[in-house]
Amino acid sequence: MALQRIADPLLEEITGPNPRQILRKRVTGHAGLLFGVGVVLVLLIIAILAPVLAPHDPYAQNLANRMVKPVFMGGTWEHPLGTDHLGRDYLSRLIYGARVSLLIGTVAALISGVIGTAMGVAAGYFGGKVDAVVTFLINVRLAMPVVLVALAVVAILGGSLQVVIGVLGLLLWDRFAVVMRASTLQVRRREYVAAAQAIGASTPRVILSEIMPNIANNLIVIVTLEMAHAILLEAALSFLGLGVQPPTPSWGLMVSEGKNMMLFEPWLVLIPGIVLFILVLAINLMGDGLRDVTAPENRS
Amino acid sequence: MKNGFMKTTALALALSVSATGAALADKANDTLRVAYTKELENVDSYFNSSREGVVLQRAVWDGLIYRDPETNEYKGNLATSWEWIDDKTLELKLREGVKFHNGDDFDADDVVATVNFVANEENGVKTQRNVNWMESAEKIDNFTVRIKTKDVFPAAIEFLSGPVSMYPADYYAEVGPSGMGLNPVGTGPYKVVEVVPGQHFVLERYEGYHDSPKGRPSISKIDIRTIPDVNTQIAELFSGSLDLIWQVPADQAEKLAEMGDQFTVSNESTMRVGYLSMDAAGRSSMDPNPFQDLKVRQAVNHAINREALVDNLLKGKSKVVWTACFPSQFGCEQDVAEYPYDPEKAKQLLAEAGYPDGFTTEFYAYRDRDYAEAIASYLNAVGINIDFKMLQYSALRELNMKGEVPISFQTWGSYSINDASAMVSQFFKHGSLDTTRDDQVLEWLNVADSSNDPDKRVEYYAKALQRIAEQAYWAPMFSYNTNYVMSKEVEYTPTADEVLRFTNMSWN
Repeated sequence: MALQRIADPLLEEITGPNPRQILRKRVTGHAGLLFGVGVVLVLLIIAILAPVLAPHDPYAQNLANRMVKPVFMGGTWEHPLGTDHLGRDYLSRLIYGARVSLLIGTVAALISGVIGTAMGVAAGYFGGKVDAVVTFLINVRLAMPVVLVALAVVAILGGSLQVVIGVLGLLLWDRFAVVMRASTLQVRRREYVAAAQAIGASTPRVILSEIMPNIANNLIVIVTLEMAHAILLEAALSFLGLGVQPPTPSWGLMVSEGKNMMLFEPWLVLIPGIVLFILVLAINLMGDGLRDVTAPENRS
Repeated sequence: MKNGFMKTTALALALSVSATGAALADKANDTLRVAYTKELENVDSYFNSSREGVVLQRAVWDGLIYRDPETNEYKGNLATSWEWIDDKTLELKLREGVKFHNGDDFDADDVVATVNFVANEENGVKTQRNVNWMESAEKIDNFTVRIKTKDVFPAAIEFLSGPVSMYPADYYAEVGPSGMGLNPVGTGPYKVVEVVPGQHFVLERYEGYHDSPKGRPSISKIDIRTIPDVNTQIAELFSGSLDLIWQVPADQAEKLAEMGDQFTVSNESTMRVGYLSMDAAGRSSMDPNPFQDLKVRQAVNHAINREALVDNLLKGKSKVVWTACFPSQFGCEQDVAEYPYDPEKAKQLLAEAGYPDGFTTEFYAYRDRDYAEAIASYLNAVGINIDFKMLQYSALRELNMKGEVPISFQTWGSYSINDASAMVSQFFKHGSLDTTRDDQVLEWLNVADSSNDPDKRVEYYAKALQRIAEQAYWAPMFSYNTNYVMSKEVEYTPTADEVLRFTNMSWN
C-alpha cells in the first residue's frame, strides 16, 4: 500500500506530509527538546571521550599548586577552570565527573524502570489481587522518604559507586509503577487488546506487542524524570560524604570539597553546581519535550 | 535541590557580609562571644572527651596543681604543696579559704569524694586513662589529703594539673553527672550562669576567685555558642556578632589574615600528632596481610611527602614528626629512624616485599578529609590502591578495637599532657587500640612508665620509640596547629596546648 501511495503523486498531495515528517517538524520546532537533547548528547560525548578531552590526570595531586583560580578570574590556560584543594585540575575532574553522573543516572533509572514497569503493568493488566498487592507495595514505598532510606543504607553498607547505583535503583521505582499502572488500565480495555486476546494471543504477547507500545511515551518521560532525580540524589549523597568516595571525581563531591572555602573561593562550588544544574535542566527539558512531541493530543 | 540551597546560602552570606561591614565587638557589654564547632556531650568535664570540654573545664573548675603553659613549671592551685611519701602515695596540703561557686567551702572532703568517685571504673568516666591511675584518696585532716596510685605513676603531677578537677562533694553527691552538666559548680575563675544544650553557655566572672596561678579574669561575661559550620562562624565574625573563633582551617585563616586591619590571626602549634596506623600485628581479615611485612610499612613511610603536607595543607606552626609522640613531651626521643619522601624507593620496597603491582586496601579516616585524601593520593601513586572510608570517630574507634582496620589515618592530642606516656603508652602496650603488639616495646614501656627516675624513663622511652620507628609500625607525619581569629578589640596570646584561656583574655 505504501508503495502505491508513493507511486501516485496525486494521492500524496491529498494526504499531505507523512507521520515521520510531522514528527520531525514538531521536534525541530520544540526549542526545549532541542536544547535538552543537545546538552545531554554533548555531555554524553564528553563523558565517553573523557580520557582524550581531559587536559590533565584528574587524580594527579600537586599540593604546591592548590586552588589556582580559573582563567576567567585571573588564572592561566594551564588549568582553565583552576585547581581544587589538593591541586588537581578542576576541568579534568569535571569531565570525569560527567561519567559518574551519567552512569548513575542511566543505570539507576534503568533498574528502577524495569522494576516499576513490571509491577505497574502487571497491576494494571491483571487487576484484582495482583493490583492490590502492587498498590500496597507502592504505598509502602511512598511512605518511606527516599533520601532518608538512602542515607541509612549507604551509611550501613559504606559508600561506593555500586552501592549508590543499587540503592537508588531499588528506591526510585514508585513513579514508574504508579504511571505504568494507570496507563495500562487505560489501554487494556481497548478494542485492539480485546482483538488480540480474541485471536488467542498469549498474555506476554498481548502485553509486549499491544500494551507496551501504547504506553511507551509515558515511560520515556518517567525515565528522564527519574534520571534527573537519581543524578541529584547522587550529588546530595556525595555532598554528604556518603556517595561516591574520593578520589573518584563526582560533581556532588566537588561541591562538598569546595564548600569550606565558599566564602573566599566561591567558584569551587559554583562551577560543579552550575554544570549539575545544566545537566538536570537539560534532562528535564528533554523529557518534557518528548512528552509534548509524542502525546496524542498534539498529533493533529 | 541541594545546589539551589547552597547558592542561596552563599548569596545570603555574601549579602550579610557586605551589608554590615565594620566589626562591632560587644566590648560595651563586656561580653566576649566565642563559637564552638562541636556540641558537648555533657558539660561535666569527666563525661566528655572533646577539646571544647577541656576549655570549659579549665574555666569552670580547678585542679590541685597548675602547670604554667609558658614555663611548664608546676604551681600549687587548690593544693599549696605536695610530696611523695612513698612510691605510690602523694600527700597534698590544700589551700584554705577557697569557696565553690555555690558558696560551699572547699576542703579535704571534696578532694576525697571527687577522687574516689572518678577513680571507680563503675562510675564510667569517659576517658579512663585520665583517672584510672588513682587507687583512692584519704583525708588526713581538713586540709591534708593523700592520693594513692595503683602503680608507680610518675606522670601523676601532670595529670593532677590537667584533667583531674575538684568537684563539690555534697552538691555532686546530690545531683550527679547529669545535674552537674546542667548546673555546673566549681571553684574556677568563671562560673556557669546558663546552659542551653545545643545552643550556648554563658559564663560569668567569679568575683570570689581565690589567688590562683591562673590569674584573675578580666572580661566579665563569656557567651559561647555552638555553630558547626566554619563559614557561618566567619560570616558572624564579619558581621560583628562573634569576637573570637578558633580551630579555623589554614586556608580560611590565611584569607582572614590577608584582610589585614580587621582581625588578629594567631597561630599556635598543638600537641596533636597525625599518623598512619598499620595492622602490623595482622589482626584484620586481609589475607595475605601486606602490613605485617616490614618492607611494606617502610614503603608506606617513604610514599608520603610530609614536607608538602605541612607546607601546603597544615601550614602555620605545624612540623614534620617522625616519632610516636609530640616532640615537646617528656621522654619523646627525637633521634629515630626517618623515612624521607621517595616514591621510587617505596615502589622498590613494595616489589621486594612481593607486591610489584601494588595491592588494594581499605583506608580509614575520621577527620580532616582533605588531609586524608592527600595522603591516600600519595599511597595510590606508589601502587597501594586505596578504598577510601570516612567514618565517625566512635565508629572507627570501635572497628579499630576489634582489629578490623588494615591502615588508617589517626590523630592523637594526648589531652595536652606533656609526657610521652600520654601517647606512646596509650597505643603500644597491647591494649585494644594497639595495632602492633610488639613484646619488646611493651617491656621497655613498662619500665619507663613505672619508674620514678627521670633519666631511666628517658632512656627506656627512647629505646621503645626507636624500635617503633625502625619497625615502621606507624607512619607519624605531622603535628597540628590551631588558628585563632579574633576581632582587633580582643587581646589574647594563645598557648601551645590548644586550650582557650578566657582568664587571660582582655579588651584592647
